[in-house]
Amino acid sequence: MKKPYYLFNPGRLSRKDNTLKFTPVDEAGNEGQPRHLPIESVEELYVFGALDVNSAVLNFLGQESICVHFFNYYEHYTGSFMPRDYLLAGKVQIAQTRAYTEAKRRMPIARSLLDGAAANMLRVLRYYGYRERDLGLPIAAIEDLRQRLPDAKTSSELMGIEGNIRQNYYQAFDEIILDYDMGGRSKRPPKNEVNAMISYGNMLCYTQCLKQIYHTQLNPTISFLHEPGYRRYSLALDLAEIFKPVLVDRLVFSLLNKKIIQANDFRWELNKCLLKESGARNFAKYWDERMNETIQHRSLNKKVSYKHLIRLECYKLTKHVLNDGEYKPFKMWW
Amino acid sequence: MYVIAVYDVNEKRVGKMLKLCRRYLNWIQNSVFEGEITPVKLQEMVVEANKIMQKEEDSLILFKSRDARWLDKEVIGLERMSTDNFL
Repeated sequence: MKKPYYLFNPGRLSRKDNTLKFTPVDEAGNEGQPRHLPIESVEELYVFGALDVNSAVLNFLGQESICVHFFNYYEHYTGSFMPRDYLLAGKVQIAQTRAYTEAKRRMPIARSLLDGAAANMLRVLRYYGYRERDLGLPIAAIEDLRQRLPDAKTSSELMGIEGNIRQNYYQAFDEIILDYDMGGRSKRPPKNEVNAMISYGNMLCYTQCLKQIYHTQLNPTISFLHEPGYRRYSLALDLAEIFKPVLVDRLVFSLLNKKIIQANDFRWELNKCLLKESGARNFAKYWDERMNETIQHRSLNKKVSYKHLIRLECYKLTKHVLNDGEYKPFKMWW
Repeated sequence: MYVIAVYDVNEKRVGKMLKLCRRYLNWIQNSVFEGEITPVKLQEMVVEANKIMQKEEDSLILFKSRDARWLDKEVIGLERMSTDNFL
């Protein structure tokens, strides 16, 4: 099985004997012992530290269809190196664009995506509801809002409902997380520990979705729920919507409640809170484990990893735009 | 599957063997590699190795296991290289 590699140390990545060589460099500029990454086992690269690369490496990574995701000092997503599309399919591209331009066809997809997201959020909340948390109010509010989804006529109306659902959902976080207060979602910059973790997790989820889309025939810039704008891969945002509650939020709760990530894993800068390298590293480690965890898939009747669930979602969307079966969003059933 | 590969080849060919193995598995010690690999990829590596090796003199030994979890790894003394994916 291929696995992603996470580079936190600053260093240089070079091509050596048809494989990758990573040479860490410390603050004084001294090179450490190089590590060879077996190219055949690299799924993708996540770069958090300062990294030197040259075109030889990029050519090589391109040849092997390996994406590289870059993050800046503030753990913001900066962008990805995406090798040339290797699964081109004009037919899918045209179908996808059509599905977007015709409102009659776009709205059902957007609505399904949101319905899936709401269903997953409710699952998460109910789980904690059974564990003696007082979550009756937000659950009722979200259920109420979910009923209104079929009435929404335009995608901006949908996004409005989405905003309200999220607001109620995030209010419940204070009840679920034991030692920290969240006090509403704040981003750019995140104002406290919980927000910092959610931002970081959402970003990992977003890049994972992007990578899965890359390995299918869909075009990541044409989206259904989010308005396909400029400068971003909005289809990844659409998909992340469904998976954020399943993957990110549940991980944040367990890392904080089990005290795996603690107060000294965060750094405060001016009026923002960020994860320290130790925290980011730890989070990525558990994230990686979670992505490889498997569940028994109901309709496929076999074990499927969380990572693969996202890919399956892409396949379902492809089928939908090609008029080969209706898209039903992934809903957690446990 | 999870594999430990150990080779013993003539000095003249040892460099080639090292380079080949690096592409597929993680280096942990001189002439010892380990890592997760698919059966097809392993087959590919063996085919390549066969081209390098001279059967009368050299050997490549593979220890295969279904999953890393059935393997209890214990390092005594200095660990030359870890195999994790967080660098």
